[in-house]
Amino acid sequence: MSGVDLRVDLGGIALRNPVLTASGTFGYGTEFAPFLDLRRLGGIVTKSLTLEPRAGNLPPRIAETRGGMLNAIGLENVGVEAFLREKLPALHADVVVVASVFGTEIEHYAEVARRLSVSERVAGLEVNASCPHVKSGGIEFGQNPNLLAELVRAVRRASTRPLLVKLSPNVTSIAEMARVCEGEGADAISLINTLQALDVDIETRRPVLHNVLGGLSGPAILPIALRMVWQASRAVAIPICGIGGIGTAEDAIKFLICGATAVQVGTASYLNPMAAGEVADGIAEYARRHGLGRIADLVGTLELPR
Amino acid sequence: MRESRAEGGANQRLRLFVPRFGGFEPGQFAMLSPGTLGAAERFDPLLPRPMAIYRAKAVEGGAEVDVLYKVHGRGTALLAQARPGERVRFVGPLGRPFPDAPQGSLALLVGGGTGVASLYELAARTQASAVARVRVLLGARSAEDLMGRDDFEALDVELVVATEDGSLGERGLVTEPLERMLDAEPDAIVYACGPTLMLRRAADLSAARGRRCLVSLENAMACGFGVCLGCAAPKVGGGFALVCRDGPVLEASSVDWERLAR
Repeated sequence: MSGVDLRVDLGGIALRNPVLTASGTFGYGTEFAPFLDLRRLGGIVTKSLTLEPRAGNLPPRIAETRGGMLNAIGLENVGVEAFLREKLPALHADVVVVASVFGTEIEHYAEVARRLSVSERVAGLEVNASCPHVKSGGIEFGQNPNLLAELVRAVRRASTRPLLVKLSPNVTSIAEMARVCEGEGADAISLINTLQALDVDIETRRPVLHNVLGGLSGPAILPIALRMVWQASRAVAIPICGIGGIGTAEDAIKFLICGATAVQVGTASYLNPMAAGEVADGIAEYARRHGLGRIADLVGTLELPR
Repeated sequence: MRESRAEGGANQRLRLFVPRFGGFEPGQFAMLSPGTLGAAERFDPLLPRPMAIYRAKAVEGGAEVDVLYKVHGRGTALLAQARPGERVRFVGPLGRPFPDAPQGSLALLVGGGTGVASLYELAARTQASAVARVRVLLGARSAEDLMGRDDFEALDVELVVATEDGSLGERGLVTEPLERMLDAEPDAIVYACGPTLMLRRAADLSAARGRRCLVSLENAMACGFGVCLGCAAPKVGGGFALVCRDGPVLEASSVDWERLAR
């Protein structure tokens, strides 16, 4: 990889290249050991962690759609303590680990963040703001600017680690939500989470998922994600981590051009467990071909019509 | 892809050369992506399909792996269209295999629909080991729909066939001969793969007679190696088993059939 400096700084997290894996699509990293040396990646983002283990939703939990998939897993995870005790030590010390934080109440988020911050191995936190807030009748934290501000403030107080906030795309103005996060001290913003969606089996007239609604991911959402990353990057000064339908280096490069400092590969890892590594290699190859000394110089270089 | 061949009904047989393939155990599966790996990635249909590994033969540099499945949608049709020499993505072997049959037992292998494909290697190896007797019960809608009949006949195991239209063997469901055999054979152990209703019936019949029953589930899954959590099967007493990682072979008594079936 001579000649190109692939390193980026994502809100205080030093990454060897701009490619991470998206929360919920990469387990706790160890599952990919047979397929991919994780040290080839900028880092990994874990499955969202809650205070207590969660069992998840009844099946069916996933369904294929055109160029994408729906999921309603229900945030099944081992819980923060089992993660720290069993999952984290299994990863090589050179793997950059960002822990995804999740809760149904603000205080739960803060407590998970506090516990994760005790470990030297946690390079940063990513707050999953796409959770229905129980006390507010199920609206997602990320859909209400006041709730989002309260959430980011609480997690910010609980941890001094680099803090990423992963935004829901199910909002009218992504720029407004990004500004809220920046105002409350977030170090970076990840977007987008899945788009709320529905599909139906016309023979049974039932929704394809037991949960009725699910989150749409995969290549189908890429142009929407790109639009939101571009809008958010113009609204705030903190770095953006682009997510949404990335399966190839070409996809990832689009996000960098539109203002993302780094990217996350998500659903693509299901069909090709080596996808994130291939994206990282392809970005390096593109940078060489275009004579870029530093990949960071590509960030936010979208040429607009005059 | 070495060969893709239609075998009557919707049945399709693929023979793939898989580099560095180090063998597999009966009941394991692989994820096969729809369509060929061309110059550009194909993203529609998006997800790979879980398919039983039917059998494999070691060759120079890897193995020839056979997969037997049914064409029933765009993804499976695209896979069938791959021509010799074209590349398809294959991730496997995956999952936990069938446990060996106990010494002196009668292994009743019950297959319905595509589930038949999960049982061939188990039948072949159990027969070859001579540790247990093997009887294979295969079910299909019709004679044409039945998978792998010639292969099972060539194994020289006891073979019982049931078709719903009576075009081959007994008329009716394969669980009917299973019930008779469970009554007659105190040392039976059941291995079943097929539609959920068939599995549930096999589980109930076995439990009522105190016989051990292992089922191989065919849930939809996106990854096959324990990260998408899409293939969760409810367990008795709460929680879920991942069909890809904890299965596909599970103890029938551990599955919460009520919550599994919609």
